[in-house]
Amino acid sequence: MTPAKSVPLLTIGVALFIASSTALADVVAVVSSRSKVTTLSTNQLADIFLGRTTRFPNGELAVPIDQAEGSVARDRFYERVAGKTAAQMKAYWSKLIFTGRGQPPRAVSTSGEAKQALGQNVNAVGYIEQNFVDASVRVLLTP
Amino acid sequence: MTNKSDPASGVRRPTSVRRRLIAAVLVTAVSNAFATGTEDSGTSPFSFGGFGTLGAVHSSENQADFTSSIFSPNGAGHTHAWSTDVDSAIGAQIIADVTPRLSAMLQVISEQNYDNTYTPHVEWANIKYQFTSELSVRVGRTVLPSFLYSDTRKIGYANPWVRPPVEAYSLVPIDTSDGVDASYDLHVGEFLNTLIVAYGHETSGTPAGSNNEARRLFVIADTIERGAATVHVAYQQTYLTVNALGALFDAFRQLGPQGAALADQYGVNNRLIRFMGIGAMYNPGRWFVVGEWGVTDYQSVLGKNTAWYVSGGYRLGQFTPYLTFGAVRSDDSTFSPGLTVAALPPNLAEAAIGLNGALNSVLSSSPDQKTISEGVRWDVVKNVDLKLQCNHIQLGAGSPGTLINLQPGFKPGSTVNLFSAAIDFVF
Repeated sequence: MTPAKSVPLLTIGVALFIASSTALADVVAVVSSRSKVTTLSTNQLADIFLGRTTRFPNGELAVPIDQAEGSVARDRFYERVAGKTAAQMKAYWSKLIFTGRGQPPRAVSTSGEAKQALGQNVNAVGYIEQNFVDASVRVLLTP
Repeated sequence: MTNKSDPASGVRRPTSVRRRLIAAVLVTAVSNAFATGTEDSGTSPFSFGGFGTLGAVHSSENQADFTSSIFSPNGAGHTHAWSTDVDSAIGAQIIADVTPRLSAMLQVISEQNYDNTYTPHVEWANIKYQFTSELSVRVGRTVLPSFLYSDTRKIGYANPWVRPPVEAYSLVPIDTSDGVDASYDLHVGEFLNTLIVAYGHETSGTPAGSNNEARRLFVIADTIERGAATVHVAYQQTYLTVNALGALFDAFRQLGPQGAALADQYGVNNRLIRFMGIGAMYNPGRWFVVGEWGVTDYQSVLGKNTAWYVSGGYRLGQFTPYLTFGAVRSDDSTFSPGLTVAALPPNLAEAAIGLNGALNSVLSSSPDQKTISEGVRWDVVKNVDLKLQCNHIQLGAGSPGTLINLQPGFKPGSTVNLFSAAIDFVF
């Protein structure tokens, strides 16, 4: 392959890569709009979803709501928040489950269901695709 | 120590009674969970799970066996050119959340036992009560948190390697405790501190057809986590009796005051042993580094052993290659002049020479080795990984390292190469 040909190919590749990653909506961490929680750092969010804490920084109970294993939203969320792939998350939870230290959060199937769960529980915290954001939820951060 | 009564003679047999008690309590907890489960809004109080590893190991040394556990009777090398016993295991677990505060856990593992069977044994069996969100207490059997990976050493899928580095992870002769432990979580800013204090005992079978008894086992371990960083320190002590060595030191006691003094110095009868370990890990996801250091002081013929390792890996898509350096060495003298044969009556000379030989053979078997290993973890499909690993072990001069079943043709101080393949899964 000559350099003259490889450069445009590379450009197309990069363009496709950018296109494919923007095609997927970003995930945002959310609580119910009725929640008193207004801010959360990425580390604090990670601690709640990794089972390291059961409380928000303000002391209120935190109930994490996961999305289904294998879902794009879930994979993207953990990649951004904990730097971990789906397999690494599975390994992480195996470590906790088989030593009796914890169970993964309850999981729902879609961003819509996640929003419903937040509506039912003011202590819940979840993540949804950005285009699902409406007045019923408060965005804490975009990881 | 001389006049101390033999604890084995006044044998308390708490194990079987306590086991029955644990079983009874678990059954009660499980049936309560069934009862409450039906009243609940359809969510089951039970969580089931399982894990396993299918592994095969080949060793270049056919005059001795490589094993991953000090409780294994044989492994790769002499007994099997390719051994599936070293890493293979399968485990199943049930957790019952009886109430939001009370839960019970039972985990059973089938793996190569000390008697070369695969009869499943209870690895964890305890009842946990969560007093507050910070404080919980468990009663029953737990796995000791000696090192960072001690309580997950048999769950291959949770670990980056085929097995935790054998130098450090064979340092502690006790891996579970039947008793009680308390865990306290403290959040300070983004730091999480977990303090565990445990008290219990353990009786474990050994390949010699005998057993080790650890009494008054006390453990204190602290783990600090912040984001991707973890630091872990542990101290444990116990009064250990290695019954396989009982006859040797009883024989020494037959040979006058010098024999008794040697038995006091080297015997492992209700001997206070201490372990101290420290480790740190950084794992931001794309890569990881981990290092641990530990020392076990047996204050007896088993010596004082120090081990450490450092390991790192870098993830490339579904592949995570890693590199590990590990070492263990004995800090005590591995030789004793033993009984002064000339000072004994001639009819005892032969016995004394035999005993001196036996004492020195135990002393010289203390582990001294260094390992470089490289390997790769491949996350093949969901819940399944495949690992390949090569270990290059340099045995210390005159030492068999961690190898067992030494044959007449075995040369201490040699180099041993291992190749390991393992498939890990969780379900």
